[in-house]
Amino acid sequence: MAAEYLKFVDVTKCDGCRACMVACKNWNDLPPEYEEFQGSVQSHEKLTAHTWNILTFNEQETANGGFEWLFRHQSCLHCNQAGCEKACPEDAISHTKFGSVVIDSDKCVGCGYCVQGCQFDVISLATYKDKQGKEYRKAQKCTLCTDRLEEGLQPACVTACHTDCLIYDEREAVLSEANNRLAKIKDRFPNANIYNPEGINGTTTVYLLADKPSVYGLPENPKVALSQVVWKDYAQPLGKAMLGATTMAVIGAVISNSIVKAKNGDKGVDHHE
Amino acid sequence: MSKGSPKMVKRFSKPIIFVHWLNAAAFFVLYLSALPMYTEYFDWLYAVFGGPAGARLVHRIAAVFFVLPVVIILFADPKSFFHWIKQTVTWRKHDFEFFKEFPKEFFGFHAKVPKQDFYNAGEKVNSILTILTAAMLIISGFVMWFPQYFPRGVVMWAYPIHNIGLGLSAAVVIGHVYLSIGHPASKASFRGITKGDVPEEYAKAHHGRWYDELKEAEKKNNKRIG
Repeated sequence: MAAEYLKFVDVTKCDGCRACMVACKNWNDLPPEYEEFQGSVQSHEKLTAHTWNILTFNEQETANGGFEWLFRHQSCLHCNQAGCEKACPEDAISHTKFGSVVIDSDKCVGCGYCVQGCQFDVISLATYKDKQGKEYRKAQKCTLCTDRLEEGLQPACVTACHTDCLIYDEREAVLSEANNRLAKIKDRFPNANIYNPEGINGTTTVYLLADKPSVYGLPENPKVALSQVVWKDYAQPLGKAMLGATTMAVIGAVISNSIVKAKNGDKGVDHHE
Repeated sequence: MSKGSPKMVKRFSKPIIFVHWLNAAAFFVLYLSALPMYTEYFDWLYAVFGGPAGARLVHRIAAVFFVLPVVIILFADPKSFFHWIKQTVTWRKHDFEFFKEFPKEFFGFHAKVPKQDFYNAGEKVNSILTILTAAMLIISGFVMWFPQYFPRGVVMWAYPIHNIGLGLSAAVVIGHVYLSIGHPASKASFRGITKGDVPEEYAKAHHGRWYDELKEAEKKNNKRIG
């Protein structure tokens, strides 16, 4: 499913202001998370169930020995073949018409399979307490502000971005802009590339990266995991079918035994008796 | 079968019977606490366990009791345990021939089943599948319980393996339960795993080779006494 609109992240335009982080917390009503100083200007180490986007500050040495930061607005990529969706045994994760990958929290049981299934370490479990004080868990992550999209608005992070590093626009417009930008920055960033991995049928958030994906901690060539294909496409339907088949055989045996018994009187049921 | 009280022969020891039922009970608790996650038709079972978190806790407690029988039997009656393992991996002509006749017997028709061992070929298949699926379930379950100690790729494989193990074992159990308490021709065997003995006639009819062994041993004993 290819979305008609894409979110575009041109990391070379980012100035590290973190307005996108604040806008996300604000719109999604997410609590602040205080973390120890990590030895870097980066505010939070990684995405959590309550922090759906962060700016990563990669410290790099330039070719002439200088210093520069590689910024990246990190949040859910909304993969078209989403590992979290495939991992979910409850079918609680699905694609919307906007191409965003969302969690139905009524269906989510907090098993955490999706946490293992996501190749980008985006999704994680939040722990809540119900009225009786009992704890329960729900998977949480960026929704691409699907609730805003439904109202014709743009994602909160995009509206907050003052450098146009974040853009939400029509698919073709985004992709051609990405190519234009790539051509323009190639001189300064020879390793620059457009990150829209084919192995997972592309993503609804497309990146223009200044360096190789691995420099940003992204998989170079993410693919749908074989274990997930085996599970979702074969093991689950086959397992359900097999249970049905065995049950049918037993029901068949009960019926056929009673028919044979009725025909032969009590003889012939057991050749030994 | 003769009228009145038929002559009985001993089949399973007390420890074997105990661990069989401990394993069976654990299996059903594991099955029930996993079922709502396996298929949406049983989502209502979550309520029985006090929500998904409760089901997960029950599943983990039952998992311990699922593994425990192997440990117990290794201390309580290793002889019977290794006899079972040895029989399970011993396959001769009469074992293979069993399957030509078995479908007839299963559906209630007249069948000429060749003389079988202490465990007939069907029970051997059941044993193999039980051991195999238990291994799949226990190993993958351990990985899923402690994912922080395993690489992501391994954890991701644990899910389908656990899932396939469940599907296979549930199918095996349905067949196993039916053949022990539901099917008219093998109902007598149920007493073997409850009281521990079976009618001699049953042993002769269903486990001919075992019956012959019993008779052989009896003869030797008599000779010794005589």
